[in-house]
Order: sequence, then structure tokens, then C-alpha cells
Amino acid sequence: MDKFWVVAKREYLERVRSRWFVVMTLFVPVLITATFLVPAWVAAKAASGTAAHNIVILDATGTGLGQRVADILMRDTAAAAPARRAAAAEPGPQVREMTQAQLAAAEDSTTREVMKPNSVVGYLVLDDSTLSTRRIRYAGRNASSIVDMDKVRSAVRQAFTGVMLQREGVKPETISLISNLSLNMSQTRIDERGKGGSGQAAIFLGVGIGVLLLMSIVFHGQNVLRGVLEEKSTRVAEVVISSVKPEILLAGKVAGAGAVGLTQQVLWIAISAYLLTNFAPIVLRSAGAPIANGSSAAIGISFGGLTIGLFIAVILYFLFGFVFYASLLAAAGSMVNSEQDAQQAAMPVMYLLIGSWLFVNSVIVNPTGTTAKVLSWLPFSSPIIMPMRMGLSPVPWLSVAGSLAVCALGCVLAVWLAARIYRVGMLMYGKKPSLAEVAKWVRYA
Amino acid sequence: MQGNDLAIDVRGITKRYEEHVAVRDLSLQVPRGSVYGLLGPNGAGKTTTIRMLLDIIKPDAGSIAIFGRPSTESGLLNRVGYLPEERGLYRKMQVRRVLRFLAELKGVKPAEADKRIDEWLQRFGLTTKEKDWGNSKIDELSRGMQQKVQFIATLLHDPELVILDEPFSGLDPINAQALKDAVVELKRRGHTVIFSTHVMENAERMCDAVCIIARGEKVLDGLVTEVRTSSGRRNVALALAVDSGTLAARENGVGHVLSDPRLVKRFDDNNRYFEIELAPGADAQELLHKLIEAGARIERFELVLPSLHQIFIERVGATGVETGMSGHG
Repeated sequence: MDKFWVVAKREYLERVRSRWFVVMTLFVPVLITATFLVPAWVAAKAASGTAAHNIVILDATGTGLGQRVADILMRDTAAAAPARRAAAAEPGPQVREMTQAQLAAAEDSTTREVMKPNSVVGYLVLDDSTLSTRRIRYAGRNASSIVDMDKVRSAVRQAFTGVMLQREGVKPETISLISNLSLNMSQTRIDERGKGGSGQAAIFLGVGIGVLLLMSIVFHGQNVLRGVLEEKSTRVAEVVISSVKPEILLAGKVAGAGAVGLTQQVLWIAISAYLLTNFAPIVLRSAGAPIANGSSAAIGISFGGLTIGLFIAVILYFLFGFVFYASLLAAAGSMVNSEQDAQQAAMPVMYLLIGSWLFVNSVIVNPTGTTAKVLSWLPFSSPIIMPMRMGLSPVPWLSVAGSLAVCALGCVLAVWLAARIYRVGMLMYGKKPSLAEVAKWVRYA
Repeated sequence: MQGNDLAIDVRGITKRYEEHVAVRDLSLQVPRGSVYGLLGPNGAGKTTTIRMLLDIIKPDAGSIAIFGRPSTESGLLNRVGYLPEERGLYRKMQVRRVLRFLAELKGVKPAEADKRIDEWLQRFGLTTKEKDWGNSKIDELSRGMQQKVQFIATLLHDPELVILDEPFSGLDPINAQALKDAVVELKRRGHTVIFSTHVMENAERMCDAVCIIARGEKVLDGLVTEVRTSSGRRNVALALAVDSGTLAARENGVGHVLSDPRLVKRFDDNNRYFEIELAPGADAQELLHKLIEAGARIERFELVLPSLHQIFIERVGATGVETGMSGHG
């Protein structure tokens, strides 16, 4: 047992000390933070960075439509970014009421105005036929901005509604009420235990857990394979095996590399959480988003679905899944002498893993379906599918315990098989063994 | 010999592989505190035997005892140091960390290991005032230095039994000398050293006892002096001066004498000297007399025991080296 710890300690320390580990441990949280913050930043920037309020409205309708549009534009911008509006004290849209005859000349002069830098960005034309034809024109530097054009169009639509309601004799207060109407829909998931979390967050959490587990198992499993191959190709294996039984060497290596995986995941989560909570407000404020909403709520993440039980299950499934795959990959590494042959030998093992991932879509669509249920009991797919299912929809604890037990049994089998292949393979140089030869190793080892 | 006087007691071990038998019914006894040579041509089964001693592979039949206890007993191998024929260490690891790891695997406590590592690095010139190679990665070391580190790894846990597989192969003369000195020192401290080699001169210089194996079977074993006298023969080492005279004529005369079957059974021209095996009943004095008559200027005429090399060639013969059995001895 002492030697097991010595092997595991070396494996752990050498990997944690490596440059790759440091780079990956820092890079991934930055990546995660960026995937959350960049879209949020873009959205906030789009909301506050609009120039839709800095336009001229040429109104020849004679109905006050232009002023209504200007008011609506001002209100929207103020709602999106009060801080920025207050700081910059930017002017609202300028409404120029005129007759249809003056319109052509006004368009000319406004065009020249727009062409000057640091001036208005465009103008909106509402002519005397606008109310009947529902035609409006816009010209400006921001004419290709989807956000701005959407704002202008929607402002005109609201103003239109107002004018038409007024014509129908609706009271001005009612009109104001209607045009200020805004909707806010929240999505809540319902399961057997009642309401909880948001539907979006559940999918996000489920898929996130699945991806994290798959990546970790593949990445650290491949590390074990490479480590075994290195020991074999540098011939250090023979010295080590003269001091420690191959089974213990294998177990120590898998344990050490697994501990590295756990360490990395804990660091990933901790650093990501730190970056998100500390940088989200700064980034969003710089984009001009309202400070009050600059917290994680605005970014749309909620770890509400991540309960302690799920967290423990994720850790256990990672450990079992890792032991299962890493020991088989170690056996694959011990059979061969070169990196290319190793990838080929690892192929059947990787097929099991990637094969499980191919069903992920049907699990997301129907987390309680037969496919999902079967896959969460098979030892090679359960480490990924079961935690994912648990993130998507509740799973009875008895099923989880049963699946974990099957998984543990699978691990025992995998380790037993791997140890027998490893024992013979580590000292076997020369050509790549055939499947029949490997079967013989397992029988006679 | 009593069982507890033996460092190693091997009884009738056999290892079969699919196409051939690597080791067949091999028995050997290595006394404690001796330097023991395992001799044989390439592919004779030396490495297979050594791996069985170290419990790396299991014999199909027979028993192995180390210090009187079964070799599979846990903790027993902590008292054994092993230098494999194919050498190598973790390339990306620092020298000190590799050494500490290998020492810890043999049950040495880290603090004690660190102390010994410093001593050994100093002794082998791997830490000097200018440079401490102990903090370098294995990758950054020259081949000679890597061999030194590997050798330190073998001895770091102060093993009572040291097993070296072809230790001299690939060593430059300086490292070979250092290795020889280390072996002699181990022996002086009462430790047992076993090494395999196919270079008979090394064995003859260093070993107290040897075992010659070929085709997986023991050909002979025993103390070196016994092995050499057991043939009941004495040889003559003859060296001729090459400074003057008509070389060809003289050599013709000498050649004539040496090819006289009544005097000489066979001779081996080593270039600098001849190793001559006398014919049964022949007298060395008569040979000397004939040689002088033939005009030979003699620099050396010495009665010697047959060399291990000669015994080896004689006993193993050309057939001992089978084709298709190369690879690991």
C-alpha cells in the first residue's frame, strides 16, 4: 500500500507541476468566463450603444406622429442605459415639423448635416401619405444597424397605434398605458417535487455536466495512456516493476491522474466563479449596462439546480468513469510501443465513450425515456449520461445508487482486465500484438 | 552450503514461451558476499533468469529463494537492487526527484533518500561548484551522466543483493572503471553482486564464481578458479618479440612447432600472444626448448590456467549461439 501512494504521489506531482496543467487550469476558466460575458457584453453594448435616439425626424404628417416617435425612442433608450444617458446628457431625437412642400429641401439639408462628423446619425421621413400608405423612410450612417432599425421601426409602429387609437376616440391615458406595456416572461420548470429552477438552466446544467465529464475523462485518460507509453518506451518500467507489482503501479497511476483531474475541476469551478462574480459587473458597466442588473442574474446563469446531492453524484461518476476508462487506456498503452499504435489500440475504448455521447441528444430531448434509462445503467455510459439526466430532470436516488453500484462493478472488471494485459504488455517489445494474443495474456497472466 | 548462507538459491526453474523454452531446469546457488557472473551468449536466457529472480516474470516450474525466503515474499525485493540491460529513466523529471521516487519505491524514507542522493551525486561528480545536475531534467544529461544516475538508482537503497544485467554494455572506459570499483566496494562491504555478461574478460577479472548458460540450460558453474582448474589442463601463454630477424622465417619455424600434434593440442592466436593448450602428456619444457631451437625470441612463456573465454568457447561452441533466439538473453 505504501508503494501505491509513492506511485500515485509521483504521478500527481509531476502532472500538476507540468506547464500544461498550469496553462489549462488558467485558460479554461477564462474561456468559460468569456463564453458567458462576451454575449452579455455584446447584448448590453447593443442595448446602450444604440444611436437611434440621435436622429432627426422630418414630420410632414401634421398629426404629431413625429413627436410620439421621438418620445418612444427617448423612453426606450433611457430604460436600457440610464447611467450612460445621464452621464452623456445626449440630446433626444430632433423633431422638425413641416409641410409636404418643404420636405425635399429639408431632406437635402439634413443629409448634409448627417455627413458632418459628430452630428446626428440619420433622419426619418414621415410624409403626408405615411398614415395611409404606412410607408416611412430612413437614411443615415446607422442604416445597416439591425438593432437601431428595429428600434426605429418599433417606435414608429407604437406611435402609429397611438395616432390611430386617438382617431378612434380613445382616451390619451389609455393610449399611454397601451404603448408603455412591456412583458416579462419567466420560465419555470415543474417536476415531481414541484416547481424549481428554470427550464433553460436545467438544460444548461445537464449538458454542461455531460461535456465536463466527457472532456475530463478523455483528457486525463489519454494522459494515463501517454504516461504508460512513456514508461515503456524509456524502459523505466522494468526498474519500477522490479520494485512494485504491476497491478499496484497501474492502480497508483490511475489514482494519481484521477486526483489531478479532480484538482483541475475544482480549480476550474473556483476560478470561473471568482472571475464571473468579480468581472461581470465591470465588463457590463463598461458596456453601459445598468449597474443594478450587472450581476450574474443578467448573464443568465443560475447554479440553483446544482444541489449538494448532484454535486456528489458528479464527483462519484467522474471517479468511477475515470477509473473505468483510464485503466483500459493504460492497458492499451502497455500493449504497444509508439504513439500511433497507441491511438489505434485505444480506439475500441474511445468508441465506447464517444458512442455514449452520440445518444446525448435523445437524452436531452427525453431525459426520462428508455434510451436515457438504459444508458444510465451501463457502466461505460452511465458516468456521463446519469449525471446529465440528473441535471435535466430528477432521478430517484435508488436508481442513482443502483447505477453507481453497477458502475463500481464495471470498474472492478475493467481494472482486473487491464492489470492482466498491463502485466504482460509492459515487458513486451516488438510488433503490436493481435487481439488473440492479448486474449492469451489475459488468460495466462 | 546452508540455505541461509546463500543470497540466491534457484532450484530447477523453467520458463517456456510459445515458440521456445527460454530457461530449462536451471539451478544455481549464489553464496552471500560473492561476486557472481551469469555468462552466456546473446539469447541464452540470462535476462529471463534475472527477471524471474526479481519476480518480474513467474517461472513455469521450480523455486527461487532469496536470502532463504521465497522471492515472492513482500518487502524482500526492497533488499535487492536491479540495473536492467535496457536503461532509461523518466525523461522529463528532475534527477533528484527520479532518484527519490525510485528510493521511496524501495522503502527508503524521503528525508533519508535526499541525504543519500546528495552523497551519491557528489561521489559521481554530478554536483560541482559550477553546476548541480541534480536539479536538471534527465533529458538535459549526457548519456554518460544518465548511466551514472541509473547506477545511483540501483544502489541508493543500499541493497544487500545487487543484480546487474549486462552492466558494462555501452559504458565508456571511465564509467566502466567506476562501475568496477563500485562492485568491488560492495563485495568488500559483504554485499552480493550478480551480473550477467557475455564478455568473459570482465567475468574473469571480477567474479568469484560463475554460471555459464547456453540455450537456456546450465553448461557449468562453480568458483572461477575451480572452473579453470577442473579441466585438468594447463595452458601456455606465449608472447614473441617482433623487433628483429626475418619475421616470416621465424614465424614459419614457430608455426611448425605449434602445429606439432605431439606437443600442442590447439592454439589460439590473440595477436599479442598465443594461448596454447598442451597435448596430453606433453611437456611444457620440451615446447620451450623446441621454440628456442626454432629461433623464437620469447618475451613471455607462462604456464596459465585456461581462460574463461577458452572454456566458454570450448563448452558452448558455435552451436550455443542459436539464430532466432536473440533479443533478450
